[in-house]
Amino acid sequence: MGARGSKVETVELTRRFRSHVAVDRVSLTIEPGESFGLLGANGAGKTTFIRLITGYLLPTAGEVRVDGFSPVTEAAQVRARLGFVAETSRLYPDLRVEGFLRFVGGARGLRGKALATRVEHALERFALEPVARRMVGNLSKGYQQRVSLAQAFLDEPTLLIADEPTGGLDPLQQEEVRDVLARLRGERTVLLCTHDLAEARALCTRVAVMNRGRLAALGPTEEVLDGDASLALFRSDAEAAPA
Amino acid sequence: MTPFLALVRKELTVLFGSPVAYLTLTMVGLITALVYFDHLRVYNQILFLYSTTTMGGFDTATIPPYVNLRDQVFLPVMEQLALMLIGLVPLATMRVFSEERANGTDELLLSTQLSPNQIVLGKFCSTILFVGLMLAVSFVYPATSLLTAQLGLRHLVSVYVGLFALGVALGSIGLICSAFSKSQLVAAISAYAVAFVLYDFTWTSDFVGETVVEFLDALSLHQRFGGFAEGLVSLADLAYFAGITLVAMSLARLSLELTRVR
Repeated sequence: MGARGSKVETVELTRRFRSHVAVDRVSLTIEPGESFGLLGANGAGKTTFIRLITGYLLPTAGEVRVDGFSPVTEAAQVRARLGFVAETSRLYPDLRVEGFLRFVGGARGLRGKALATRVEHALERFALEPVARRMVGNLSKGYQQRVSLAQAFLDEPTLLIADEPTGGLDPLQQEEVRDVLARLRGERTVLLCTHDLAEARALCTRVAVMNRGRLAALGPTEEVLDGDASLALFRSDAEAAPA
Repeated sequence: MTPFLALVRKELTVLFGSPVAYLTLTMVGLITALVYFDHLRVYNQILFLYSTTTMGGFDTATIPPYVNLRDQVFLPVMEQLALMLIGLVPLATMRVFSEERANGTDELLLSTQLSPNQIVLGKFCSTILFVGLMLAVSFVYPATSLLTAQLGLRHLVSVYVGLFALGVALGSIGLICSAFSKSQLVAAISAYAVAFVLYDFTWTSDFVGETVVEFLDALSLHQRFGGFAEGLVSLADLAYFAGITLVAMSLARLSLELTRVR
């Protein structure tokens, strides 16, 4: 496991859903400690791409490596490095915040005192103490997203994958989540999946733009998202560029 | 806490965090009480008839051997408890996988250290624990037969082993139905359908030959449970229920794989 994060590599990664190609021969490398943005319009293939990295979906062709491990054949090693922040609603509404964190920590292999300490730390770090005994389903979206971030950090993952982490949040809540992600820069690898250009500019050192499953652009954030021309990369008739 | 135990605990917390668990357990207590006391009432009326010769009844000396607490109360109640399990177990299992799929939490679950096998096994174990609790609630009234009808502890144990095996098999059927559907309603209805079809095949006698009926009947839940109700614990019957459970768990495991390749 890298000291500052995990390295992610995809080679000709492809995923089809019957005749629809959701991810089309995507090759890229995310360096350890890098904050990498995956951009694209809705339906561009971003979520499918991250699901291939987490191992939730199997690739039709190509391969993924996280620190050299394949999510297909070495899922346990990949999961041990992974923290995953899904969209707001993907939590257990019937669990209390503390109970939810204890469950996720336990499911990630933490136990005993280490589990209790990490849960306590996560509650403190994400300012969840006031709502620790409340049901997750009764929290505001902002708090739910903090819970989602807190669970992802429980076992100090070296790779954090965040899928639309600010989706559906009000501006203040978005700022809070961005602050948390900004503090991680250089500490661990962050793969941020978003369609918010401002968010990518603020948080990512490098970005890739996906369009109809292909990489339409890949490079440093300032270069790829420079000026109004960057919007053209999101249009469905944009030319896909080689990585 | 191991990842597996964390999952079992979470499943039970979620189950008891909803009214479904309490309603199901209340139903078990109510139905058992109603069925038990109704059979007891009828049995007492029969005894009363035999004991009131002066009022036009029968002589107690002529009471046929089948009029006893075991045959008139205990066995019919156990048969109805088996049917009650078909009615109630799918209520507890319908959400197990469906809710994860509908809420998208299956993705979170699969990003942890839990392997797909552990996920299926963890959900299965929590289902078994709940079935065990249902049976514990139902145990109170039949247990009184132990004291009053000289049934013997072995008979009662045999019946409850059978009910437990049946409950586990029904729970497994509920799990597969839940694993292949995002909708809890569809999961429950399909579990009812499968359980009722498997419960008894004697209705097929109008359509197929006797040999086929015998073969199908040997595969029915009712036929396999019958031995336990009579007080006979048979390895073949236990193997049958274990077989259903294994097939169901394998299919539930397959459903997780199908999610990855769909």
